[in-house]
Amino acid sequence: MTSPRSGPPAVEAIGLRWTYAGRPRPALADITFRLEPGRTLLVLGPSGSGKSTLARALTGLVPHTLPGIWQGVLRIGEMNVASTPARFLGERVGLVFQDPDCQLVMARVDDEVAFGLENRGWPRADMQARVPIALGQVGLTGFESRATGTLSGGEKQRLAIADVLAAEPSLLVFDEPTANLDPPGMYDTLEQLAALARRRQHTIVLIEHRLEAALPLADDVLLIDDEGRQMAFAPADSVGRDAVDLLERSGAWVPRAWEGADMTGRGAGAGGAGAGGAGAAIAKPPSMSSGAPVLLRAVDLGVDYTIESGVHSAVDGLSIEARAGERIAIVGPNGSGKSTLLFALCGLRRPNRGSVGLRALPAAGEAEAAEKFRDPARLRSNEIAVRIGLVFQDPELGFVARTARDEVAASELAAQDRNQDRDPQGHTAVGRRRTSAGPGSVPPDADGVLAQFGLGHLADQDPFRLSQGEQRRLSLAALALRPPAVVLLDEPTFGLDRRGTGAVMTLLDAMRATGQTQLLATHDPRLLPHCDRVVALEHGRVVFDGSPDRFLAEPPYTPAAPWRAGVATETATETAPKPAAGQTR
Amino acid sequence: MSFMPAPLGPIRPAFLTRVTPAARLVAGSIWLVASIVTLDPVVPIRLSVAAVIAIVLWSGLPLRRIPRRLAPLGFAIASLTFFSILFAGANGDRSLDALFQFGPVRITAPAVTGGLAIGLRVVVIALATLLVFGPSDPTQMADSLVQQWHVPDRFAYGTLGAMRVAPFMADDWAIIGAARRLRGLSSGGPASRIRAAGDRLVVMLVAAIRGAERLALAMDARGFDSGIRRTHFRELKVSWRDWLTIAVASLVAVAALTAGR
Repeated sequence: MTSPRSGPPAVEAIGLRWTYAGRPRPALADITFRLEPGRTLLVLGPSGSGKSTLARALTGLVPHTLPGIWQGVLRIGEMNVASTPARFLGERVGLVFQDPDCQLVMARVDDEVAFGLENRGWPRADMQARVPIALGQVGLTGFESRATGTLSGGEKQRLAIADVLAAEPSLLVFDEPTANLDPPGMYDTLEQLAALARRRQHTIVLIEHRLEAALPLADDVLLIDDEGRQMAFAPADSVGRDAVDLLERSGAWVPRAWEGADMTGRGAGAGGAGAGGAGAAIAKPPSMSSGAPVLLRAVDLGVDYTIESGVHSAVDGLSIEARAGERIAIVGPNGSGKSTLLFALCGLRRPNRGSVGLRALPAAGEAEAAEKFRDPARLRSNEIAVRIGLVFQDPELGFVARTARDEVAASELAAQDRNQDRDPQGHTAVGRRRTSAGPGSVPPDADGVLAQFGLGHLADQDPFRLSQGEQRRLSLAALALRPPAVVLLDEPTFGLDRRGTGAVMTLLDAMRATGQTQLLATHDPRLLPHCDRVVALEHGRVVFDGSPDRFLAEPPYTPAAPWRAGVATETATETAPKPAAGQTR
Repeated sequence: MSFMPAPLGPIRPAFLTRVTPAARLVAGSIWLVASIVTLDPVVPIRLSVAAVIAIVLWSGLPLRRIPRRLAPLGFAIASLTFFSILFAGANGDRSLDALFQFGPVRITAPAVTGGLAIGLRVVVIALATLLVFGPSDPTQMADSLVQQWHVPDRFAYGTLGAMRVAPFMADDWAIIGAARRLRGLSSGGPASRIRAAGDRLVVMLVAAIRGAERLALAMDARGFDSGIRRTHFRELKVSWRDWLTIAVASLVAVAALTAGR
């Protein structure tokens, strides 16, 4: 390797391997690379490839805080990570995590920046001089006395960057710093990153899914496969074709700039997708929305929260209608009311003004549903379950059982119990025909559903022990036996790699093919071309309601670039949806 | 987004916001002790009046929002007082005249004063707590305890971190309950309800522990408790205000205990 300087590299790994205590396989294996000072390294790999573990190793959390078995050598400058106490590493390395809410410790902005300095024993006068400089470096001058809880997502992440800059580390590690942010927040953060990378005062290790923006910052790239093994380490502009192929096959997101030569094996549509024609790669399933019955209707919805300074309307005068078989993307900046809207639509949060009405899907052959719109807050549990379902961004909050099989069977079993106990009309009235479950008879075919969702081998596993992607698929599988007419999904592809995103979208396509309405609250512009409609929120109001094409041509936000740019990564993101044969019941 | 009400913090600088939290804790404790050393309801009445005056004049708290926030506590105090009077031992003493009698229910004068004393003590505790914790944010309280009383960092700032994320737990509880309802699982008899609450608790604790782990990791990554002696960004200076606060609180307590005797 040609080294521009004679000093030690900023980071050097030789045969690094780490196995978390109690795990059979190493999280990282055979990691060998050499990063020169001032350069930016982009780490790429599928979910579960040990990217976060590498970030933890660089900061000494592995092996000093988390237990496990360490092999090989990792050096930061002249310090050997395994044998250097964490406090010395901490002075040299700063780590920014993905979730801003889980890394801000203090209630006030200036206290937050000072926290790391206090821990390292800085004299008060030095801290008082340093805190405003660090805030200035990320454009937060004047925010000193603000409460950290009142900052936007992008501001929180900038604050987290100020936190690590304050201690003047030589190595900065970013572990998916934009994953929780809306497109503007993401651009905001990436701009901060770009400025840091350009200054070349720090060596940067960046783990990031948003490759279009991240790749141009990178001097070097490190490719890791799904077993934590290094596939390649190379300068960013000379990554070998074979390495890219390996990366693609591993299911990771792949930078668009690298995809060109690889398009041959894919659908012809993908190659032709120009910058604007993002949706071209995916054959859209036919939409059933036109003329289909309206299943969800919210009129002049208002939801208020009491905050320190008074009452704040998270949703304000919002009206929306969704028809059977329609897939609607709900987009908007952090805090624009997306989550509140979902909660209000399913009756979790009672609106202060306006109304929400839900209707069950009419049985095949019936005319436009005769049923009246029902208020979700007034429906009984079994009545609401057939009308609307909610899939959380954090699937764990929605789990109700101790094994994956029970998780899938839970709703069905509850319905059978009810049939046994009382009024058998309870749900058959809504016209959804299922297995002829006589009183307490047929055990639901949970294993069949698990197999369809690629979870067959995990039937006896505790849902909490599954990987992120598996949890997401299980949360969808849990709706399969008694599919609700409308399903609300909060960031359904959050944190998933290309393969995981493709799997989720394929399952959603299959569910929609039966007439299900799907509302997706998302920050991910890549999903927009898969939707029939985009509803954009700002300050709790609808600022746009129309086709994805129109939204992407003219996003109602300024700057609009982030929303458009995100779609550019689309093209072959999905393994083109297979015919839904296996999925429909 | 949070289902929890916003914290009740000071909205303007006032005398007590410039007193160190540790000094306020001392002053509050003096009143606490004064209110429980006697069974005479007059003492907590006097202390309550003094506390209300202090809150209005010197706390900087948003006065209009206080009654609503204390309302649930008021209900608890009222029922505590009611049942203390109803079930007081003195009611069974046949040598005392009954103030009120209806069937087996018999109320005597000592039972009323005793019950009032118990209820009023809780009023004093509630108001004193507001005076101790209200005028500063939790960070100042932690700083004060660490700097002035040398409470261990790990305890003080660990608790502080936990307090910052605690509201999320209340949200999680509501969300987990709603998730069960949406899955058609929440109707049923009392037994299944109790079982469901257990399941809900497990999920909430898992979520809380995951959150705590992430926060702890973030704190460790920034050098928390790494063996270096911690310094402090915010300096807390003990001033004449601290001593004045403690002195006045002591005088009021002594006066409340002894006046008119």
